Amino acid sequence: MSPAPDGPMRIRVISPTRAVFDGGAESVVAPAHDGEVGILRGHAPMVTLLGEGVMTVRGGGETQEFQVSRGFLQVLNDDVTVLAEQAAPL
Amino acid sequence: MARSRDIHRRMKSVDNTRKITRTMEMVATAKLRQAQRRVIESREYARRLTEVIQGLVTPELAEVEPLLREPEQVRRAAVVLLSSNRGLCGSFNSGLIRTGMAKVAEFGAAGAETELHVYGTKAVSYCRYREIPMATARNDLGDPPGQDDAQTLVGNLARRFADGSLDAVSLVFAEFRNMVSTPPVVKQVLPVSVDAPTSVSPYYILDPSADGILGALLPLYVTNSAFSALLETAAAEQAARRTAMKAATDNAEDFLNTLRRTFNRARQAEITNQIAEIIGGAAALED
Repeated sequence: MSPAPDGPMRIRVISPTRAVFDGGAESVVAPAHDGEVGILRGHAPMVTLLGEGVMTVRGGGETQEFQVSRGFLQVLNDDVTVLAEQAAPL
Repeated sequence: MARSRDIHRRMKSVDNTRKITRTMEMVATAKLRQAQRRVIESREYARRLTEVIQGLVTPELAEVEPLLREPEQVRRAAVVLLSSNRGLCGSFNSGLIRTGMAKVAEFGAAGAETELHVYGTKAVSYCRYREIPMATARNDLGDPPGQDDAQTLVGNLARRFADGSLDAVSLVFAEFRNMVSTPPVVKQVLPVSVDAPTSVSPYYILDPSADGILGALLPLYVTNSAFSALLETAAAEQAARRTAMKAATDNAEDFLNTLRRTFNRARQAEITNQIAEIIGGAAALED
């Protein structure tokens, strides 16, 4: 397994069956319901609906991609939670 | 002579039973461990989803959102009853069936026309035998249960609730509290009941609007309630089976000990008898 991304934000990807990813990141790009949304450190609190597509988590020179669909993305105090009905690392 | 051989045969039979129940106990323990892990790993999703929905619901939204609609009078209700496909798990299924029938009676007493959706061989055959009408009777849910099974359980009911042809949906399943406590419980799935938000949510940017997000998340919430119930029931079944098989193994052991004592006493009595006969025979020769 390659080293996971790392960074100042905490990101969690949770599917109904398990926590798919829990770690740090510098940036997160996710497919929202109406287009991609990018999140960096210091983002305002936000809740948005997810669309279907590939989410990219970058940090510490590493990149990890996830296929996600149906759910939401929540940002609060550099804590990003992605809750998706389907979520799997690519 | 015949008596001690009879007891010996009996002991062998009890010992074989004990071997079987002990094996079943070990199998249930292994399955329980996996089922328990699934329950625990699924809790985070349910918790987060509930949190966000609680943060978004307002009394105004509860008026317009179809899945939150609180009917003034329940005219048509549905009870979804879960049970296991296999037996040898103590009072697990009878507890579920009793709770389910009580819920149906409760809806009926309140004047609602109630339909019963039954999953699992045990409850299905109970209802068939009693000639209780069932709207659904299935025993083909996955093991381990998947999200599509949860969809099977409540997808259609949620649609009918949303368009108003159903006023309440309750789910009867076994709650997995811990290894030894797995009581049957009734959960109201529809209308979705949301507790008042515990803390004031911060000023979130909402995209789309609160009702847009809620409209998309509530169906996920309903499906997830069913999914959690399926996982918990699966774990509870294994826990109940383990307890039942452990009790059976212990009983077999006790019984075996009793038999062994009786057998030894019978054997001793026989030997004493034989010695007495030999001595008697020898004494007769001397004379």
